[in-house]
Amino acid sequence: MLTTVWQRLDQGARLALPFVTALIFTLISAITLPLPWFGEVAPPLALIAVYYWAIHRPDLFWPSMAFGIGFLNDVVHFLPLGLSALIFVAAHHLVLTQRRFFVGHAFFMLWWGFALTMLIVMLATWGLQSAIRWQLVPFLPVVVQALLAIIIFPLPAWLLIRLQRLTLSHI
Amino acid sequence: MTVRTRNTEWVHLTSMPWRVLVQRFSFILFMAASVGLLILGRAQPALIEGARAHIIDVLAPLLDAAARPMTVAQNISSRIESYRQLQKENDDLRSKNAQLAQWQNAVATLQNENRELHALLNFKTEPGLSYISARVIADTGGPFVRSLVVTAGKIDGVREGMAVMTGEGLIGRVIEVGDWSSRVLLITDLNSRIPVTIAGSGDRAILGGDNSAEPKLMYLPQDAVLNPGARVITSGHGGIFPPGLPVGTVSTTTHGVTSIMPLADLGRINYVQLVDFNLKGGAFNPLAAKVEAELNQQQR
Repeated sequence: MLTTVWQRLDQGARLALPFVTALIFTLISAITLPLPWFGEVAPPLALIAVYYWAIHRPDLFWPSMAFGIGFLNDVVHFLPLGLSALIFVAAHHLVLTQRRFFVGHAFFMLWWGFALTMLIVMLATWGLQSAIRWQLVPFLPVVVQALLAIIIFPLPAWLLIRLQRLTLSHI
Repeated sequence: MTVRTRNTEWVHLTSMPWRVLVQRFSFILFMAASVGLLILGRAQPALIEGARAHIIDVLAPLLDAAARPMTVAQNISSRIESYRQLQKENDDLRSKNAQLAQWQNAVATLQNENRELHALLNFKTEPGLSYISARVIADTGGPFVRSLVVTAGKIDGVREGMAVMTGEGLIGRVIEVGDWSSRVLLITDLNSRIPVTIAGSGDRAILGGDNSAEPKLMYLPQDAVLNPGARVITSGHGGIFPPGLPVGTVSTTTHGVTSIMPLADLGRINYVQLVDFNLKGGAFNPLAAKVEAELNQQQR
């Protein structure tokens, strides 16, 4: 009986892993680093998690979760509520429709896919922010943020690959 | 032909289980929910801000826990650095101490003189300032917003509109207050507007952020002459901030736009002080104060 309960808990924890990692990535991206002006161009780790899980475990990472993570990202980063939610849900959908090009291929394809997604997200976010504020917001920090996110992508992606292999390989 | 296809599709959809249908439409559903949130945020900003402050309150311990290893690492590295430069720092401090002792004498004399002159003029003294210290737990910037989350809230006496400083100078104001945490909008943010005065000349202006490292002076009088290095302080107009808080120095003037270099290093803030400006009646909202004054007059 007890074993069953533990097994269920274990199973539940494993199934929740994609959402939990995306949640942790969102919180980590808000930490103050001792690097001057890093906060301005800190890469959107939450998007990396949304992208990764939409490709690898869409059965465990639903649009509602992309919405939840986006909502949290808006709250933490003081963005207009609904902005990241909109972007993340759209990105999740875009990645889902294109995942056959990225899944099961070499890591480079995964990276390339993220670079494309990041560029689209960058332009959409900048456009929406400018529209909401009714003025053109500076473009350079957005570009630097996107480039930084693309450059560091292998690191969080490697972490997620390891986690997936460790916990979700048989589920 | 078209009608038949539509009908077929409709029959196909209605025969699906509810869950599959929801899944199929969840993309549209959540896109619509996001747009709804964006619209609600524009229509009911107070509601959204309140909800946001509550969520940040809940997340504050998590953010704090996530930030702690970084703070500890930073403390250790700065301690090692200070050990390495102990001798030099000691010498510097000695000479600075000598200078400050002279300043202390000068300040004491001036303070006495000031007090006597105020007494002569029957001058009404400014309300006192008190400070609430807080630690920065999140630097929630990104390319669009310049803000921080700090570990002090309503319970500690924080109120919306309070000026926020580091040892060097003003860095922003409180815009959202939860029970245990608050959000600070930095002076560099696009939405930040602070009434300031140029020390010396007394020219008034509004310091407006533009998301760059150096905020700009707006509504400066046409004939104002600004020298690079001139100090910019809060003017206290509007009753939101106490007057005389140091903000920055004039950096450059190009094409009639004057940039201000903040005194505080906004890229590296670990601890802040929230300034409680003890105006009678809690006049953080000038409009509220005006209404209150009018009501008082009517009652008389």
